[in-house]
Amino acid sequence: MAIVLFRVDERLIHGQVVIGWGHQLWPDRYILVDDELATSDWEQELYQLGAGGAGVVFSTTESARSRIAEWREAGERSILLTRDIDTMRRLAEDGILSGERVNLGGIHHGPGRDEVLNYLHLTAADRESLKAIAAEGVEVSARDLPDSHRVSLQTLLKG
Amino acid sequence: MSRDLPRRVVAATFARSFLIQGSWNYHTMLGSGFAFAMLPGLRRLFGSDPDQMDAAVARHLEHFNAHPYLSNLALGAVLRLEADGSDPEAIRRFKVAVRGPLGSLGDALVWATWLPAVAVLALSLYWLGAPGWAAALFFVLVYNVGHIGLRAWSFRLGLAAGRDVGRHLGKTDLTGWTARLEPVLVGSLGLLVGSALAGRGGLVESGGVWVALAAAGFLVGMFGGHRVWRPAAALTVAAIGLVALFGVWQ
Amino acid sequence: MDILRVGALGGLLGLDGTAVGQFMVSRPLVAGVLAGWMLGVPALGGLIGGILEVYLLVSFPTGGARFPEGATATVVAVAAAAPFDGAGVVPLGVAVGLVWGQIGGASVTAQRHLNSRLVPESGDVAHDGSRVVVAHVAAILLDFVRGTLVTMSGVIVGRVALSWLTQHWPLSTGPSIGLVLVGGAVSAGVLLHDLGGFRKRRLWFVAGLALGIVGTRFL
Repeated sequence: MAIVLFRVDERLIHGQVVIGWGHQLWPDRYILVDDELATSDWEQELYQLGAGGAGVVFSTTESARSRIAEWREAGERSILLTRDIDTMRRLAEDGILSGERVNLGGIHHGPGRDEVLNYLHLTAADRESLKAIAAEGVEVSARDLPDSHRVSLQTLLKG
Repeated sequence: MSRDLPRRVVAATFARSFLIQGSWNYHTMLGSGFAFAMLPGLRRLFGSDPDQMDAAVARHLEHFNAHPYLSNLALGAVLRLEADGSDPEAIRRFKVAVRGPLGSLGDALVWATWLPAVAVLALSLYWLGAPGWAAALFFVLVYNVGHIGLRAWSFRLGLAAGRDVGRHLGKTDLTGWTARLEPVLVGSLGLLVGSALAGRGGLVESGGVWVALAAAGFLVGMFGGHRVWRPAAALTVAAIGLVALFGVWQ
Repeated sequence: MDILRVGALGGLLGLDGTAVGQFMVSRPLVAGVLAGWMLGVPALGGLIGGILEVYLLVSFPTGGARFPEGATATVVAVAAAAPFDGAGVVPLGVAVGLVWGQIGGASVTAQRHLNSRLVPESGDVAHDGSRVVVAHVAAILLDFVRGTLVTMSGVIVGRVALSWLTQHWPLSTGPSIGLVLVGGAVSAGVLLHDLGGFRKRRLWFVAGLALGIVGTRFL
């Protein structure tokens, strides 16, 4: 399996991802699935800078859905990131991510968001999306860094 | 509309950048610190209009997080964008896009490479026989040449480039610098291990058993990575505690 | 009364960790030397700081993740060990430091939660920005108070424990240092792991290793 991590992280490529996870998983490339970012050159320039020598692929959600199989079979190791939970839900529709694990990283505080963990703030819609992802046969859990404690979806939805 | 920023305002912003993490919090992270650092510039640009000023402070209170030294790139660039009268929504999008890359570039260059490289070199000096104060002084001086240099350089670059910092930063190749520093760090780590083994008061003087145990510990760390750090530290504390209690019991 | 002075030192160095400057005078090596110098035990301060520095080499403050607080931990370790003699002061001081590093780390997390309530957010009416200044400065002062209290409590607890345990410490100096260096060796291994492991970097590592071993023979 060549997609070594599926993660939701508002900041996409940043220190926790590139050093925290990158230095454990040694990815060859990051796949950023985000509809807006896929069409913005100057923003892509910025995100490419932070990848620490690994490649960066930008993709819309639709195109990502059709390329997941190809990425899985590729020789390169990829970390796939989305900015929000809803994008990951759309990616997971029709069992495309069935059998995978989705990791929840940082989503910060904002209007309508409750603190669930230090690094994770969810809206009511987020909670529904998480249930929908789990219903597609995906194991969802939160963990900011590889050596921190993994929190299961059940615990997240209780809090 | 583009307006000049007096030297005084630029200098005040740079000085405040050293406090950008002063109110680090889980809601906006560096958001409040970013607004704090922007205040001299915002007062200069919008101070005469309370409504504009309120809106400007509010948009810089939003979530921000990056490496503290490289935050200066965003700070300089945003100061430039505000002075140029850029659209607030464009400024917001710029801050959102720039925070992650500045975080990962800075973490890789500073926290994961520059800091350990200078610290490991200083520790090697110590185990090679330099007094503690000399090793500490070496660390503080060398480390901060890089630190303050990086803050000043990134602030100036941001101020000059505005939204195009991505392109300019790409040419500087900070990732390449990180990659070039890594072998130096590995070599220094070898130096530290060698000197802590053979140095005065080092492991060889403690005895063969300790050399063997330390070698085993090193291998566990090398293969296990970060997840073994906490158990190893806990085990060390437990071992010291057990030895102490054994002494008391005797 | 040196507990007050030591507490203030821990508070000041703790500030450097996050809130003010990040000149890295909060690193254990520097904090150990400063605490040792303040308490008249410079050699002990350097040694304990040097050992804790090795432990915390791999614990850098990435993206606000929780990490042991090196500054207060080191000041606590040195100040707890300073009044006592014997081979046990170094390992027992280091142990107290490692434990207090976790408590310091937890207090940093608590302070960051407190800051969340303290700082104005974009929805709040900001007026001329004075509220930002008040909250920001208050957070920095609170962080100093936090670091001072963490340090003072650690020194008191550490000194009580060490006054008892150092008297009965059963090992001589060699094994006592060996004991703490084994844990440090794990950290050094983790750092090499982070840099790509031995296989990727063996030339540089072995060259450094050889230089280190040879170097100790000449210096």
